[in-house]
Amino acid sequence: MSFKRKLLTKFILIIVLALVAGLISYPQTVSKIPPVYAVLNKMKINLGLDLQGGIHLEYKADTSQIDGSKVDAAMQALQDVIERRVNSFGVAEPVVYTTKTGSDRRLVVELAGVKDINQAKEMIKATPFLEFKEEGPDQQIPQDVLDKFNTEAKTKAEGILKKALAPGSDFAALAKENSEDPGSKDKGGDLDFVKKGAFVPEFDKVLFDPSFKDGTVWPQLVETQFGWHIIKKIEQRGDGDPVKSPDGDNGASSLEIHSAHILIAKKTNPATAQKNYVSTGLTGKNLKNAAVEFQNQGLSEPQVALQFDAEGTKLFADLTKKNLSKTIAIYLDGQVVSAPRVQSEIANGQAVITGNFTVDQAKLLVRNLNEGALPVPINLISQQSVEASLGQISLAKSLKAGMIGLVVVMLFMIIYYRFLGIIASVALLIYAALMVSIFKLSAFSPWQITLTLPGIAGFILSIGMAVDANILIFERTKEEIRKGRNILGAVEEGFKRAWTSIRDGNVSSIITSLILINMGTGFVKGFAVTLVIGVLVSMFTAVVITRTILRFVMGEWVEDKLYLIGVKKKNV
Amino acid sequence: MAGNTSMLNIIDKTKYAYAFSVTLTVLSVVSLFVWGLKFGIDFTGGTLAEVQFTGSVPASQELENTLKDLGLKSLTLQPTANNSILIRYASEDDKINQEVSRKISENYPGAKELRADFINSSVSQELKRNSLWAILVAILGIMAYIAWAFRKVSRPVESWKYGLGAVIALVHDVLITIGVFSVLGHFAGIEVGVPFIAALLTILGFSVHDTIVVYDRTRENLLRSSAKEQFPDIVNRSLNETLVRSINTSLTVLLTLLAIYIFGGETIRDFSLALLVGVFFGTYSSIFIATALLVTSYKFQMTKK
Repeated sequence: MSFKRKLLTKFILIIVLALVAGLISYPQTVSKIPPVYAVLNKMKINLGLDLQGGIHLEYKADTSQIDGSKVDAAMQALQDVIERRVNSFGVAEPVVYTTKTGSDRRLVVELAGVKDINQAKEMIKATPFLEFKEEGPDQQIPQDVLDKFNTEAKTKAEGILKKALAPGSDFAALAKENSEDPGSKDKGGDLDFVKKGAFVPEFDKVLFDPSFKDGTVWPQLVETQFGWHIIKKIEQRGDGDPVKSPDGDNGASSLEIHSAHILIAKKTNPATAQKNYVSTGLTGKNLKNAAVEFQNQGLSEPQVALQFDAEGTKLFADLTKKNLSKTIAIYLDGQVVSAPRVQSEIANGQAVITGNFTVDQAKLLVRNLNEGALPVPINLISQQSVEASLGQISLAKSLKAGMIGLVVVMLFMIIYYRFLGIIASVALLIYAALMVSIFKLSAFSPWQITLTLPGIAGFILSIGMAVDANILIFERTKEEIRKGRNILGAVEEGFKRAWTSIRDGNVSSIITSLILINMGTGFVKGFAVTLVIGVLVSMFTAVVITRTILRFVMGEWVEDKLYLIGVKKKNV
Repeated sequence: MAGNTSMLNIIDKTKYAYAFSVTLTVLSVVSLFVWGLKFGIDFTGGTLAEVQFTGSVPASQELENTLKDLGLKSLTLQPTANNSILIRYASEDDKINQEVSRKISENYPGAKELRADFINSSVSQELKRNSLWAILVAILGIMAYIAWAFRKVSRPVESWKYGLGAVIALVHDVLITIGVFSVLGHFAGIEVGVPFIAALLTILGFSVHDTIVVYDRTRENLLRSSAKEQFPDIVNRSLNETLVRSINTSLTVLLTLLAIYIFGGETIRDFSLALLVGVFFGTYSSIFIATALLVTSYKFQMTKK
């Protein structure tokens, strides 16, 4: 009797296993029992980017400039910087890792559910390289070239002034179209309310001229160091005598004027990039902190304030001392953003970049400066992106295909093998539940499985292959019955004989799957991983589950109902 | 049992099977030489983007004009389901991709990039290399495994001949599958990429799996057979005994593959097609070719003696 008892225990264990697997894979069955449902429903299959939408980016790191022994550290630093940047996207669980392929070093970034792929790529790649340069040997633009350019600019400005003065003209539209002030252009030249002293003196003087009426355009061009302005006064508020406060701050006056302007820029030698600047050794690595500031209280144009570290402070002090009344150019990624003239030696390690920034540009620059330029230059070599809606469609379609595949295989088995087919179908359902449970539970192990579209294909394919072990066993069992064995003996013999075939056949599938996993690319890996797991689990279900169920339900009673398993017994 | 009349004499029909297989294999090789395979961006490098439009899909000519300034090399446009167009072009640098998507969103507001795959030539070279290696390693690994699995059988045909038979059968399956895709590439524009390689390796595994089951039966019957029974008869009996299993197993696999092919969506359609073709020929070859080769080599051995 102990054999019977052992079998009963095994059978009960299998039912428990099946129930647990069933609950994990389909928690909706207990949605009426909230606490259990809540726990079970927390387990989710980790879906790949192709199913939930997202981007996979692979960059090649250019380590040619880095000393061999420091490459690992540089790659780690690169990963850290990118991780920080990626985290600021607000994407759930971004994945960043580095890989080694031959002598290549690579960086992989995976972002789920990103809407704007190009923006994400730009933010990852942004490599602000900040550098301060001093004037080298003079390379001024010849005066006649400058003159010619500026004459043309002035003529253009006069033309626009004429249009702006014409009755019924749309100042904002003109500004949008023509203004060369990036800070205000898109707002129709709007400069908002300012107090006196906010702008350069030439501009200021006109703006606060008592004869300048609200809603009118100043009838002349106003020339400043930036170029020619066409100014429109929109309105004013507050009152007081504007003349008293020369700096504009907290003076007696509360007068503020809201204006708009159109700027036609002029070219002058010191303010342009035409000078031959040379490196000074002061770069972004000496930066301690960067912050956005607003030039002159509330004017729309923001600037970026820099604070150097100790070494940078010293370098900057030397630099400003050496270059008194010359310009120092601030380069960002190889381009001049501004080239202020040094007025005095600066010993406190503070500098300001003014470069016609919009507020957003300034903020972005500050963030990138603070987070540091990339320690290793990177170059995108491969990208896969899937839009979230397409991912959902793929998921829905492949699940449907899986369901249909499962049902069709079960139908086939039941039609062909009848009673045995029902047992095989039960085993197959347990198999599917086990697979889903493994996918879900793997999240709690170090080897989390990510289910991709090819992975689902592998899973569906494995359903077809999982039945194979059952078919082998059934065919063998039927053969033994035909030969005249009793039912239980035939089942045992069928298993024993079929086992070598099951084992040998599956080993070859495992070999090819392991090679595929080793190939490493996303598509192949997702497919092969589920196929390997599928093959292993299907062997388990065939050998343990099908066998136990068969042993438990088969018996003498089948002997005279052999049609149930599709055998015509010969009279031997 | 030996003289069972209900047995099909498959081995007797060997010459037809050989003729059929040789013809198909030769045609496949010819097609491969004449038309080659149409490689996807996995192996050529480049960009493949699917863009969905709101409202009507622009005519190919119109979209081509929009992108003309960018000077894209080997640009092809192909309308697909759900209001979208597949855009393919050769590209080395990601800058060009950004410009393309900017141009499209400027000219067609609301257009959505459903997917965008970009592969630089260094990566595609690597994928190509890896794929070839994978196939080579898989064939060697499987050969070694079969030789090992059948090491105890050496009468009357040596164990390595089982291995060779299985390998010939799987090379046959793989060649025909490649041939079919060469034809499909030429006439239907179906591309071959990494998924195809994955399919080929899966076919390798499956084909051998099938062959092993038949060989296994042959091995078992050889060990138990009486001295009277001839080798070709034993092989034929083994084939018959496993015939139902081979066909049924393939049927269930083919059924699931058909489900993927019909309902699984476009992304994995070509992949499942490759598997369908391969599994079909894999079953055929393990029944008609792999075992027949054992008999052929046995007969060859006999005539030499």
